[in-house]
Amino acid sequence: MPTDDGGAMPSSPDLEQLMMRYQKADPDASAVLVELLSPQLYRFFASQMGSRADAEDMLQDAWLRIHRVRHTYRPCEPVLPWVYAIARCVRVDSYRKRHRIASRELAADVLPEHPAPRDEPCDLPAFDELVAELPQSQREVLTLLKVNGLSIEEVARATSSTVGAVKQKAHRAYERLRTLLQHMPVAQQARRGATQ
Amino acid sequence: MTCHEMDGVISLRSGTSGFPPEAAKHVAGCERCRRLVRVLDQRPEGLTPSPGRLKQIQTAMVEDLRPVRPLAPARVFLFAFVIVFLTVVAVGYLRIGADGWGALRASQKIVVFATLATAAALLAVSMVRQMVPGSKHTVSPTLLPVGILVLLMIVMAVIFQSREESAFVSNGLMCLRSGLAYAIPGTFLFWLLLRRGAILSPRLVGTTAGAFAGLIGLTVLEVHCPNLNRYHILVWHLGVILISALGGLAFGAAVEYIGQSRTNRIR
Repeated sequence: MPTDDGGAMPSSPDLEQLMMRYQKADPDASAVLVELLSPQLYRFFASQMGSRADAEDMLQDAWLRIHRVRHTYRPCEPVLPWVYAIARCVRVDSYRKRHRIASRELAADVLPEHPAPRDEPCDLPAFDELVAELPQSQREVLTLLKVNGLSIEEVARATSSTVGAVKQKAHRAYERLRTLLQHMPVAQQARRGATQ
Repeated sequence: MTCHEMDGVISLRSGTSGFPPEAAKHVAGCERCRRLVRVLDQRPEGLTPSPGRLKQIQTAMVEDLRPVRPLAPARVFLFAFVIVFLTVVAVGYLRIGADGWGALRASQKIVVFATLATAAALLAVSMVRQMVPGSKHTVSPTLLPVGILVLLMIVMAVIFQSREESAFVSNGLMCLRSGLAYAIPGTFLFWLLLRRGAILSPRLVGTTAGAFAGLIGLTVLEVHCPNLNRYHILVWHLGVILISALGGLAFGAAVEYIGQSRTNRIR
């Protein structure tokens, strides 16, 4: 699994050991789990919500919920689908809550942050910009597959879905991205022209 | 290799590792796939949570750290759900009798009760899996209650025939009331078991539990009711599942709303 600092995630058995120690109230195991899994969870939230402040709040909510339901992790089961299923639920709840609040307010005080522009010149749009064009269910599958590095089966487990449904969503997402990329240079040129 | 086949390779590929030779050849020759792969290979930069927030999370978790016993194996809960189902059906049989059983032909008994048993098994397995986040689902839990209702409608429509019925509504209301009288306690007992797990989506869990409890009501009615009119069964017997599932959905939505309000107050 990729990590932000370029390091490798511990293997699955290591995470399982840590989870079992966490269930036995080992404070070191809980601290290590937070350190290991938080960057990827944060990236999962930030990719889909756009705002870094919201992503941090959701990260905290996710860990609170993980802590509350830690007894539901069964030893020898994969840890990542369990964690991401909870994270996904936090994201959905947060989206609903924000939607409710937004529908009551006339204007938003804070605009969502957009991903920072990259320094290196590139003829392709950033991953986040492009994925933002996809429907939510496809965006979620693509983020879990390509950003969080989960396998198709792990994504199916995390999203309470079937392997076939995940493959279908991924295929549709790739097709949509190919089409978007075909038309993108024109759009980018137009955008550059507008900013000059 | 086609672009469609390439999708499977892209999904299976981890990180920025290389492609198998055939896929690499396709990428080299296909502009659309090359651009897609380049976008997907972009690594996110500078997106990490603040150390202060991580420390806050770690401290909060350690303060409330107590040993917990992992949830009992899935088979224990499966057994418990089946026991609740059979017990409530048995109570229904003892209280209101089994006139319907005698009215059914052997072939109808086999088809009706085999379908009910299959539906009950599928819903019980789905509920057990919904108690544990990240469980493997062979059938989408969202589609399952709807699929089971449709399956039952088709089976009932095929094996029963339409007959003249003078008091369609009054007879039907009696059946509906009897079915719901067993479905409601069933829902309550299922909810007590479900609470031991992690209910991530109370609406979905509520709908599944409601549909399962509705299946209890339907089973009691199939054992009890001698009215074999197709429309009576489709409207009033299957109506128990529909109402029970909608009740479960409403209950789940209420639980979700209360949970969110409580979380907001804590903040």
